[in-house]
Amino acid sequence: MQTGKLKIRTLKNNIFKSTVIVFSVVTILPILLIIYELVSKGIKQISFDFILKTPPDTFEAMTALSNGELIPGGIANGIAGTLFMVIMASVIAIPVGVITGIFLYENQGKPLANLTRNVSDILQGVPSIVLGLIAYIWIVKPVTHGFSALAGSVSLSIMMLPMIVRSTEETLKMIPQTIKEAALALGVPYYKVILRVLVPTGFSGLLTGILLSISRILGETAPLMLTALGSSAINFNIAKPTSAVPLLIWEFYNDPNMVDLIWSSSLLLMAMVLSLNIISKRIVARTK
Amino acid sequence: MNTDKITKAVLQFSSLIILLVAGGMIFSLVEGAVPAFKEFGFKFIFSNNWNPTEGKENFGALPFIAGTLITSVTALLISLPLSFSASLFLSEYYRRTRMAKVLGMMVDLLAGIPSIVYGLWGFYVLRPVLIDLGLPNQGFGIFTASIILAIMIIPYATSLSNEIISMVPNELKEGAYSLGATKLEVITHVIVPSARSGIVAGYILSFGRAHGETMAVTMLIGNANIIPNGLFSTGNTMASVIANQFGEAEGLKLSSLIAIGLLLFLITGIINTIGKFIIKKMA
Amino acid sequence: MKNLVTIILLLFVISACNSTSNKKGDKKSAKAKKVALTAAGATFPMPYYNMVFKSYTKKTGTLLTYGGIGSGGGIRSLTDKIVDFGATDAYLSDDKLAKMPAKVVHIPTVLGAVVIAYNLPGADGLKLSDLLLEKIFMGEITKWNDPLIQKNNEGITLPDLKITFVHRSDGSGTTFIFSDFMSKISTKWAEKVGRGKSLQWPVGMGAKGNPGVAGTIKQTKGAVGYIGSEYAFAQKIQTAKVQNSSGNYIEPSIESVSAAAKGEIPNDTRIMLTNSADPAAYPISGFTWIILYKEQAYDGRSKEQALVTVTFLDWLESSEAQSQAEKVHYAPLPKAAAEKAKAILRTVTFNGKTLLK
Repeated sequence: MQTGKLKIRTLKNNIFKSTVIVFSVVTILPILLIIYELVSKGIKQISFDFILKTPPDTFEAMTALSNGELIPGGIANGIAGTLFMVIMASVIAIPVGVITGIFLYENQGKPLANLTRNVSDILQGVPSIVLGLIAYIWIVKPVTHGFSALAGSVSLSIMMLPMIVRSTEETLKMIPQTIKEAALALGVPYYKVILRVLVPTGFSGLLTGILLSISRILGETAPLMLTALGSSAINFNIAKPTSAVPLLIWEFYNDPNMVDLIWSSSLLLMAMVLSLNIISKRIVARTK
Repeated sequence: MNTDKITKAVLQFSSLIILLVAGGMIFSLVEGAVPAFKEFGFKFIFSNNWNPTEGKENFGALPFIAGTLITSVTALLISLPLSFSASLFLSEYYRRTRMAKVLGMMVDLLAGIPSIVYGLWGFYVLRPVLIDLGLPNQGFGIFTASIILAIMIIPYATSLSNEIISMVPNELKEGAYSLGATKLEVITHVIVPSARSGIVAGYILSFGRAHGETMAVTMLIGNANIIPNGLFSTGNTMASVIANQFGEAEGLKLSSLIAIGLLLFLITGIINTIGKFIIKKMA
Repeated sequence: MKNLVTIILLLFVISACNSTSNKKGDKKSAKAKKVALTAAGATFPMPYYNMVFKSYTKKTGTLLTYGGIGSGGGIRSLTDKIVDFGATDAYLSDDKLAKMPAKVVHIPTVLGAVVIAYNLPGADGLKLSDLLLEKIFMGEITKWNDPLIQKNNEGITLPDLKITFVHRSDGSGTTFIFSDFMSKISTKWAEKVGRGKSLQWPVGMGAKGNPGVAGTIKQTKGAVGYIGSEYAFAQKIQTAKVQNSSGNYIEPSIESVSAAAKGEIPNDTRIMLTNSADPAAYPISGFTWIILYKEQAYDGRSKEQALVTVTFLDWLESSEAQSQAEKVHYAPLPKAAAEKAKAILRTVTFNGKTLLK
């Protein structure tokens, strides 16, 4: 009878399920540990001051430490700079990435598409510092004649591209052909098919890719060291150096007296990522 | 139709941008790397020597190539079962439940942690644990770096696989279930084949990410410019040595570092191509 | 969808306008374009620069941006003419000076010490002679209770513990000063390892940055390494007494570091202060320099920009700035050095005419 085989199949099924659950729990273990670390070491520093003020200098930090007080100041310049450069990078990368993803989807198997796809995948593996170097050569020297937010944004946008391209293409590929064909059969012009049918249907996947890429660049330090350099003040001039939260974290780490600030700054950065996640999930829920 | 032509042109133009960017990058890197290759020839790629002392300079890329490959592969192997399980958890087993929402959010958070924070956490928290477990070299090394890398790349593969698996049409799955298939069988025979390309794309993305990771690795790998002689040995990766030495580099050393950047580009390309070839064979 | 696209386009237009109209953030008005200075370079003096630059901004309103990307980065940035001045712990040799696009001058800004830090609970005040340093850092002595170390440190109980040498994995001016000292006291070191910002180390493990080395030493019993003095102090790490050229065991302090600079200083201020002759000097001390072009009219630079640069640097050499150094455990420049620096600043020209009186 089949019962013997059924038992084995069911057993395999249950073992697999348990394994999946165990592994999934293991997956979130690090995040719990890291968040615990960040919160326990960093929460006491978080206040409105922390968001609105600029960092102290090393002496102020030293005196505060020796008096047993909280280090004064905050990371306002970093928050402003990060938002500024991330928005600029997104403005460059999202349109290019999504449109290229659509191109790849529409031209499966064609040589240009294959080349672009391969190149995009390779770009993914380029270390962020090399991208910083490229932006240094292309923007810092010839265009802005100095370290600048623009250079920082450009290096970040190159980092975003591969992820957006790939997730767009793969998402669109999962949409049943019938939907697209139905629209075309009705005589809908091509661009409308893209804008009104494909993109909305694949919106969730597209947004995931975009979100992943923004999450990644929010925390990047190495390229910004060579491009945006950092600044002790809030700056919105794209041709001048600007700070960013990860840069500040690096500066704090390297300063003997301000090391303790790394945890609270990281906590704030994570809060930004979390908010981004929540907002986009809301958007996706709405469009569904 | 006219608009169709314009649309096609816009699509093509956009992909050309990416090609131009990549091409420009290779050009700039080659330009910067030429002095190093002139000085050392192609031996540079296979040379084990890295002596930055002024006057006795001799640079070779082999230790870093080895380090990069070993850490990335190890990281991918560690993260594969974890991220695959997590994506199945989210998209199949507990789909649309509270638990899935929470798990999903936690995994997404992993992606949002700056690489510097991973490095710091690894340095201050993970390392002491590993030292207690008996790891040599003060907890620095390939193994430590690979663990951190694995954690870092989990969200990429998970999120993407999750999305892709969710998009497998329900009818296919229902059909299999109605034939009496167990969940495991539906996964292996329906979902994975149908979503294979997307899942693999997720892993290629993860692998690329591991390759290029700079800050976290550089803080944990021990920065020994040697070919690693064991899983727990110290070593160095291409991205890490560039990050470490770039600030002070000039002249021949700078050129050697740029050459390493170029090599990283090429190696990523080769590995990607091999990977895709294997996948085609599997299809 | 349409809304999203419109928003994106709007943002693009806004940011494009931003670049052309030079709109700044909160307080500065669009008309009064205040000159801001950008600089990059060494991390060794960063705690001091960080503090003293900020106090200048408070005093004059001139914004100073400094990026600690390393001495090499500072030199590179100046070569590429994208900063007003660079900062380096290792002065440019004659060869390197010749390779720069135009004549470059050095001015020293502060004195710092590189300390030998270690982790041996209960063994404070370790005395390390030149011979011991050579043997430890070249791997010939491997345990702390080695008879040679014990002989030099009667009265301190040394455990049977392996010595772990932690050096820098990244290029650094701290390494430069340390290796310069080692080359002077040990011919073996000079031959085998030499001096430089990056070296091929005979033994030991590498950690990134001063904090990496300091953190590793702190967490590893039996570790020893070299770090900038402020790190040892701020993180309460034990420091060793080192022998200077007169044979005295000296602890790093403001006085002993200042003593290292008491000798003759060349007019262009390029000199290493390690192992100096003064009997009270701490032997692993060094200047750190700021470098700038002698002729400031390059690349469309405005006279105003040049003037603000040299005025600031002049202030940096003043007692007002120098007196702040001690707060963060750096030593102020000796008068002779500050005076030479000021003299050099007065040779800096714009279109041939000197800028400062």
